[in-house]
Amino acid sequence: MMKKMKLFFCAMTLMLAAPTFAAIDTIAVDVGISVFQTMPIGIVPFEEPETIKWANEAPHQILARDANLSGRFEAVPSEKFDLVLFSKKRARQYVTGQATKLSNGKIKLDCYLYAAETKDLLFGESYTVKSQEVRQAIHMFFDNVVYRLFGERGVASTKLAYVSVINGVKQVMIADYDGFSRRQITRDSTTSTMPVWQKGNKGLVYVGYRKHRPNLYAISFGGKETSLFSQFKQAYGPAVNPKTGELIFSVIDNAGHSELYRGDMKTGSAQKFLHLPSNQLSPSWSPFASEVLFTSDRGGSPQVYAVGRDGTDVRRITFMGHYNERASWSPEGDRIVYTSMDDGKMNIYTCALDGTDIIQLTSNAGNNEHPTWSPDGKLIAFSSDRGGSYQIYIMRKDGSGVTRITNGNENKSPTWSWFFDGKK
Amino acid sequence: MAKIIKLALLGTAVALFAWGCSKEKPETDPAPKTAPETPADTTLNLDALVADTLSADSLARLEAERLEADRARLEEMINRIMLEDVYFDYDRSDLTENAKRLLAQVAEILVNETRFIVTVEGHTDERGTEDYNISLGARRSTAVRDFLIAYGVDGNRLMSVSYGEERPKVQGSDENAFAKNRRAHFRVSIANNE
Repeated sequence: MMKKMKLFFCAMTLMLAAPTFAAIDTIAVDVGISVFQTMPIGIVPFEEPETIKWANEAPHQILARDANLSGRFEAVPSEKFDLVLFSKKRARQYVTGQATKLSNGKIKLDCYLYAAETKDLLFGESYTVKSQEVRQAIHMFFDNVVYRLFGERGVASTKLAYVSVINGVKQVMIADYDGFSRRQITRDSTTSTMPVWQKGNKGLVYVGYRKHRPNLYAISFGGKETSLFSQFKQAYGPAVNPKTGELIFSVIDNAGHSELYRGDMKTGSAQKFLHLPSNQLSPSWSPFASEVLFTSDRGGSPQVYAVGRDGTDVRRITFMGHYNERASWSPEGDRIVYTSMDDGKMNIYTCALDGTDIIQLTSNAGNNEHPTWSPDGKLIAFSSDRGGSYQIYIMRKDGSGVTRITNGNENKSPTWSWFFDGKK
Repeated sequence: MAKIIKLALLGTAVALFAWGCSKEKPETDPAPKTAPETPADTTLNLDALVADTLSADSLARLEAERLEADRARLEEMINRIMLEDVYFDYDRSDLTENAKRLLAQVAEILVNETRFIVTVEGHTDERGTEDYNISLGARRSTAVRDFLIAYGVDGNRLMSVSYGEERPKVQGSDENAFAKNRRAHFRVSIANNE
């Protein structure tokens, strides 16, 4: 019922946001097998002079990838405007554009969203960019299309931080959410791992073994690495408060116990968050930072618990199985994703906030772990060794549409950025 | 310990002997007194000088040999400690009987050789999450450290650190590899101030 209400609300927003084509009935309320009702959208190649050489993909190919990855659309590619095809595939809108090479070497991209039946221009935007910024501009246009049609922010302009093994050493990397535009962030000879995004995507916080023990470090993009909370001999598993930017992380005390601390990155001060005898790890904030999820072995096996932000009112969430770990709260607020180990294999599950309504998202495909929500809550990125080596994949929140976005050496432990504040 | 003393005594004896020889030489030879202004004098002095240098050389060499023997002995002990890993059962951090036997031997060395500073690294196999494995590695390294302290090793010389699944000893995803990777490993250094 909730779902229906939400979809209805969504439809309302849609009509409000785009009164010019209020007639579109994109939302068929059929909440059964799949959580997703994807909306077909026509993708037509840009008009472009042959002198333009695209780095990886042409603009319409980037748009098709964005559409299929988004969990909102299903791309209906067509060489040219084709009313018969669009009508058959129920694509009520299509995107296309025009690319021009300017005398200063830059590329002008005029991007359009049209209504298929009437060929009315619904929305258009123009970007003048360097050739290496084409993907970024197209992602931005796509997110604006999402906003026009859904009244919600899209994630095509977001990024992932993850860990790559480079010359035998784990390094922290970032890339666009689709795996393109990879960039190495750490360059140390010791392990760097567990990256998370600082508030506002200003930089990353991660674990480094610079002193031959796990400690927290921060880095701003293009900046220098700084040591965090060096009053602790060993710390790991940082999580960022989405409202305040405050960190919560595990500290290993002298008795070898992992305990949660809250700390301010700027002042370096930190206080014990929970006073429990058990090990506590893998903290994660709720979307409005009112609660914290964490893993505890107080019951004899690692299980997921939730606790209020003041450290009181602990409640257990997972009861099934003997190994439930690394829980993360959906940005939409209604689900928790976590990793469960059964028979030595790791798989990804979601459940409701009280631990009920468990849905297994991955199965029979190697180990699947380290799930991270897209900031719109529609997608989950994770790492899997299903193809032999660990690589990063994206799927919809119902487990469908699994797409690999990295290749080469080992890539794992993704964390999704927050929304980037781009132009609307 | 006994070996050190023996080596040191031997070293001293040889040094004394060498020193004695160089001192006596000018006295037993009357040549410089009878003909003090002959060129032979220079020859003789040269001889004495050569003898002196030789003895200083052998002294230094013996001292070096002693240190070298000591260092080799320490290195051998360090290697013994570093080669022997303590193994754990799956998802456990309590010490097995085998582990305790091995740790008693290590503790014996550490109690007697107080110059050693030891870091106990806790490691896990690749199964499970990165986060959980850091916590498990911490529990393993601490269990080993606690055992050594209980045996009488000074806790100030014992560090514990968790590597989680970061540094497998053996590559592979079978039980054989897992068993070798579930371990505590010792890293030994020698204190600068003796």
